[in-house]
Amino acid sequence: MALNDAEVGRYARQLILPAWGEEAQERLRGARVRVAGGGPATAPALYYLAAAGMGTIWMDDPDPIAQGDGAGWAFGPDDVGRPRGAASAAFAAAANGLVKADIFRPGSRPTAVLVCGATMDVSRAIAEEARLLQFAHVVADVDGQGGAATTVPVGAPCYACATRPGLGAAPTPEGAAAVGALAALELILLVAEVSQEPRARRIEIFRGTPLTRATARQAGCACNAGALGVSAS
Amino acid sequence: MTGRSPAARIDLRQHACPVTWVKARIAIGRIPEGAILEVLLREGEPRENVPRSAAEDGHRVLRLEPAPEEGAGTWRAWLERGPAVEEGTWP
Amino acid sequence: MGGSLSDKSALVIGAGGLGGPAALALAAAGVGRLTLVDEDSVETSNLNRQPLFGEADLGRRKAEAAASRISRIHPGVKVDARDARFAPDSAPALVQGADVVVDASDNFATRFLANDTALSARRPLVHGGVLRYSAQFLTVMPGKTGCLRCLFEAPPAEGTVPTCAQAGVLGALAGFAGALMGAEALRLLAGERGAYAGRLVAFDARSGRTRLVPVRVRAGCPVCSAVVGATQEGA
Repeated sequence: MALNDAEVGRYARQLILPAWGEEAQERLRGARVRVAGGGPATAPALYYLAAAGMGTIWMDDPDPIAQGDGAGWAFGPDDVGRPRGAASAAFAAAANGLVKADIFRPGSRPTAVLVCGATMDVSRAIAEEARLLQFAHVVADVDGQGGAATTVPVGAPCYACATRPGLGAAPTPEGAAAVGALAALELILLVAEVSQEPRARRIEIFRGTPLTRATARQAGCACNAGALGVSAS
Repeated sequence: MTGRSPAARIDLRQHACPVTWVKARIAIGRIPEGAILEVLLREGEPRENVPRSAAEDGHRVLRLEPAPEEGAGTWRAWLERGPAVEEGTWP
Repeated sequence: MGGSLSDKSALVIGAGGLGGPAALALAAAGVGRLTLVDEDSVETSNLNRQPLFGEADLGRRKAEAAASRISRIHPGVKVDARDARFAPDSAPALVQGADVVVDASDNFATRFLANDTALSARRPLVHGGVLRYSAQFLTVMPGKTGCLRCLFEAPPAEGTVPTCAQAGVLGALAGFAGALMGAEALRLLAGERGAYAGRLVAFDARSGRTRLVPVRVRAGCPVCSAVVGATQEGA
């Protein structure tokens, strides 16, 4: 379906990017993104997914809002204690009324997943599930020196293969915002089909400098055993 | 340019920057490569901006002329859709 | 620079695609005072990338809407939002009143004014920009590292560099860049040497490649040569 006038006005600035045609914007509109994990990068990532025009966003986050959540982008002191998933969905809808944002209901079928676990272990579990269900996904990891965004198109080396142990320093709100925006950017480029090789990659931010490397399958990983692989666990 | 006529036509006079160029770009994207889009533009910024942006995007500006028969201050441009560009690598 | 962050003040020029995330980063970390300068109103085409504003803010003055959003989320930060252009008459006082300057503007005239004023006032300046799919960063430490005029001997000629109005912008890339600019400002406020000091860091979002270009004090730079005690520093 062609873009209407409201969409043309809203997405004007990205509709004039090289390689970004009407079809790219339509692919975003047709996407259904599950945002899972509730980690610190969630709110900034969510803002950019909504602002870019991801058609449907589902928040998979059962926890209540705690002090400091949202990377300082979405929630104030009055919001502490409210359900974070619903509040996040409202934040996304407020950013862009053309987007459908809601809490994630079991049985819903997304077309892509943004993984923002509070810890890498949580992210690993969500990412593995997304991989087995063949959903393209981007994982946001935040640590005290920055963090990383890992892009896993369908069939690509998995997140576990891509990740090294983090530095362990506590995440900062500015680091979370940078990683969240970067993870959203990666997912947008992937869904719009505007990304360039290497599409499967991990971009680490260390003291403000992004460093990108293509991901590679590690020997012995389940993601190495063919299209889906047979999970050992 | 005898024998050629536009494959499509769009009147952009009621729009403001940046929507003018966005709509022109979308309209170009809907015609085949080598085909011509006729656009009607207001004088001033749209008439400056749209042909230049089209050229930067790899399309040819075959005509750019006043079109007073369409209304005061109206310009007509013929934009020929160029080939899909191989993206330049990071310099 | 000693003292705690809550005693410090930051100036952010521009409250849009870069300035919004930078301001949020500074506020979230607990900067004492945040001065924002923006002369525009919120428009529909801004909404793909400016996190200080939502649908409900359309038509509102950006300075006022920004102050309102930041104060709601970060009531402990003193927000001074100026609905005005960053111009030669107002620039010196604004810059002198801050411990760090973040240039989140979208035109070269403002960038050069910010550069020159920061150098005269000897305030560190974080400069950043996004254009289509690439983001660039440069930090200027007056008297120590090269400045914008060392990098560009003259402002690009009118019409040769597309302004935002002519070139596309991807919101998430602006967010990424603005957050990194905020993080850099926080490093400078903590007394650290910036990650972008003395070098232009340029990131291409599609290929993922990062390029580093050293920016040393240029012998003929009119602004750096006026900074007393300037010492050449390696990148």
